[in-house]
Amino acid sequence: MSGLLRQFVNGIKMNSIVLPESGDGLSRTVLRPKKRRGISIHGLKVVSSMASVIPFLALIVVLLVLLSEALPAIKVNGWSFLTSTNWRPGGTYALPVKTAGVLHPQGSSFGVWPLIVGTIESSAIAIVIAVPVSIGAALIVVKKLPPFWSKGIGFFLETLAGIPSVVYGLWGTLTLGPILSRDFYPLIANHLPNAFPFRFFRGDVGHGEGLLTSGMVLAVMIIPIIAATARDLIRQVPSLTEEGGTALGMTDWESTRKIVLPWVSTGIVGASVLGLARALGETMAVAMISGSILGATPTNVYSTFSTIAASIVTQLDSALSDGTGFYVKTLAEAGLVLMLITLLTNIGARVLVKRVATTALPVGRGV
Amino acid sequence: MWPRMIEPVEHAASIQSDALMTSGEAPNVTAVANPVIRTDSLDLGFGSTMILEDINLEFPRGSITALIGPSGSGKTTFLRSLNRMNDKVRGYKRAGEVKLDGTSIWDSQVDLLQLRRRVGMLFQRPNPFPMSIRENVLVGVKAHKLARKSDFDQITETLLKEVGLWKAVSDRLNDSPFRLSGGQQQLLCLARALAVRPEVLLLDEPTSALDPFSIELVESLIARLAPAVTFVVVTHNLAQAKRLSHNTAFFFQGRLMEYGLTTQIFANPQQPDTQRYVSGAMG
Repeated sequence: MSGLLRQFVNGIKMNSIVLPESGDGLSRTVLRPKKRRGISIHGLKVVSSMASVIPFLALIVVLLVLLSEALPAIKVNGWSFLTSTNWRPGGTYALPVKTAGVLHPQGSSFGVWPLIVGTIESSAIAIVIAVPVSIGAALIVVKKLPPFWSKGIGFFLETLAGIPSVVYGLWGTLTLGPILSRDFYPLIANHLPNAFPFRFFRGDVGHGEGLLTSGMVLAVMIIPIIAATARDLIRQVPSLTEEGGTALGMTDWESTRKIVLPWVSTGIVGASVLGLARALGETMAVAMISGSILGATPTNVYSTFSTIAASIVTQLDSALSDGTGFYVKTLAEAGLVLMLITLLTNIGARVLVKRVATTALPVGRGV
Repeated sequence: MWPRMIEPVEHAASIQSDALMTSGEAPNVTAVANPVIRTDSLDLGFGSTMILEDINLEFPRGSITALIGPSGSGKTTFLRSLNRMNDKVRGYKRAGEVKLDGTSIWDSQVDLLQLRRRVGMLFQRPNPFPMSIRENVLVGVKAHKLARKSDFDQITETLLKEVGLWKAVSDRLNDSPFRLSGGQQQLLCLARALAVRPEVLLLDEPTSALDPFSIELVESLIARLAPAVTFVVVTHNLAQAKRLSHNTAFFFQGRLMEYGLTTQIFANPQQPDTQRYVSGAMG
C-alpha cells in the first residue's frame, strides 16, 4: 500500500514540475498546468482503483461474516437442511444438547426446502407478470403516447419505485388480498380443468394471504425497475433502423417484433434479472402477505407460504430468545442459501445474455 | 423459381432522349412520356414552417433522377414524402398531390404497406436489422408474403449476387450483419430493399457514409438496375449527380429552381442560382 501511496504522491509532484515538451517554446507558457490541477493520471488511477475494490471487498466481507456465523449450524443441520421440510426450533425449556460440538436446543430440526420453493415460486410469478407488462408499457409510452402522457406515466413509474415495501405489504394484506380471494380467485379455482398446469390454480383459495397475492404484489414492485429500463432502451433504438422497417412496408407490430425488441433484448434480460433479484430478496412485503408458513411447501397458488428473506425477519425475534444461539445461526445459514440463489440467478442471466448477444446484438453495436 | 428481378424494359437512355423538354419560361413544367411518379403543386411543411412550395416534378420510368441543392432546401423532406414516410412526423402537413402511376398516394384506396413495397427507400447510413444476414434479405419478402419458404434460399442467393455480396457472405449467411463493413452493410440494405421488387427506389444520400470504393460499387449497381427500377437520389455530391443521373432537379430555398437533363443542368443551367451551385460558387 505504501508503494501505491508513494506513486500517488509522485504523481502529484510530477505534474506540477514537468512541462509539456514542445519545440517552439511558445506552448510552454500556454500549456503549463496550473498547480491546483495537480492530481495526475496516476493519482486518479490509484483513487479509482481503490474505489473499485470497495464493492468487491464488501461482498467478500459479507460472505465471510455470514459463513462464520452459519458454520456451526451447517455442521449440525447437514445437507438435509436443503431438502428437509421440518422447521422445529426445539424445546426452549429442556436442557440443550451437543451435536458435533455445537450446543443446540433439544429436538431442534431445520429444513429450508419449503422456503426455497416459496422464494423461487413467488419470484417466478412476479417475473412472469412483470416482464410482459413492463415491455408493453414501455412500448406504449415510447411509441404511441403523446409527450404529455408519456412524461406523466414516467413520473408514476418513478413514484411507484419509491414506495416503501412495507406500504406495499399493507396494501397487499389489507386490500388486494381480501378482494382477490373473495371475488376473483374462486372464479379461477372453480372453473379451470383439473389437468396438469391448471391443477395448481384449483382448490382452497384461502383468505388472500399466499403465493399468488405475494407474486402479484412483487410484480407491482418490480414493474418500475423493468419498465423504466425498457423504456430507456427502446428510446435508444436508432430511428434510422426502425424507419428501415417502415420503408420496407412493415407494419408497426412487425417492426417492433423484428427490429425493436431484438435490438433491446439483452438489456431487457438484464433489467429483468435486476427485478428478479429484488423479488427474490424482498422481505417486508412478503412477510406481511405470505401467511408465514415455515414447515410446508405450497400445494396450490393460493397456499400460504414463506420465503427465506421473509422468514429471517419473522423468525428473528424468537431466534434471539434461544439461549444456545443456534436458531440465529440457522437463520444465517438460510441467508447464505438466499445469497447462493441470487448468485446463481445472476450467473444464469449472464449465460442467457451471452447467448442472446450472439444471435442478435447488444445495444450500441453496429454503425 | 424466383422470377428474375430485372425485367428488361426500354433503356432509360431512350426515355431520356424524349423525356424532358424544359420550356424556357417555366422551369417546373416538363413533359414526360411515361412518368411513374409525378407531383402536382406539392407543398410540404412542418407546423408553421413551410419547407417546400409548389413542386411539380415527373420522374420517368426507369430513369435516375438526382435531387441536388444546399442543406435545408427540402430535398429529403420531398423524397420522404414520395412513400409517405413523413406522414407520422408531428406537425407534418402537405397540400397538392403525389401520383404513382396516375393514382394519388394519399388516396383512401391505396394500401400504405403496398405503396412502400412499390416505392422503397435506402438511407444515409446503412441500417441493417438485428437479425442474420439471410434474414435481413428476406425480411421484406416474408412481411409481404412474396414467396414460398422453399424459395427463400434461392432468393437470398439471387439478391446477394445481384448486389455483389454473395462471395463475401455466402459462408456466413447466419451471422450478424453488424460485422460487415459499412459499404457491405449498405449493399445488404440495398439487397433488402430490392427483395420486395420495388418499382421506385428513393435514395437519401446513399453513399455519404461510404468510402470511394464502396461508392463506386453502389453507383454501378444503381446504373445497372435503372432500367427496371426508377431511382430518385438525393445527393450532395455533384460529381455523383453528374456521372450517375439522367435528370437533375435543383432545389433551392424551398423551391424547385430548375429541372432538366443532367447534362443540360450542369453544362447550361438556365437559372443564375443553379449556375452558382453547380459551378461550386455557392456552398
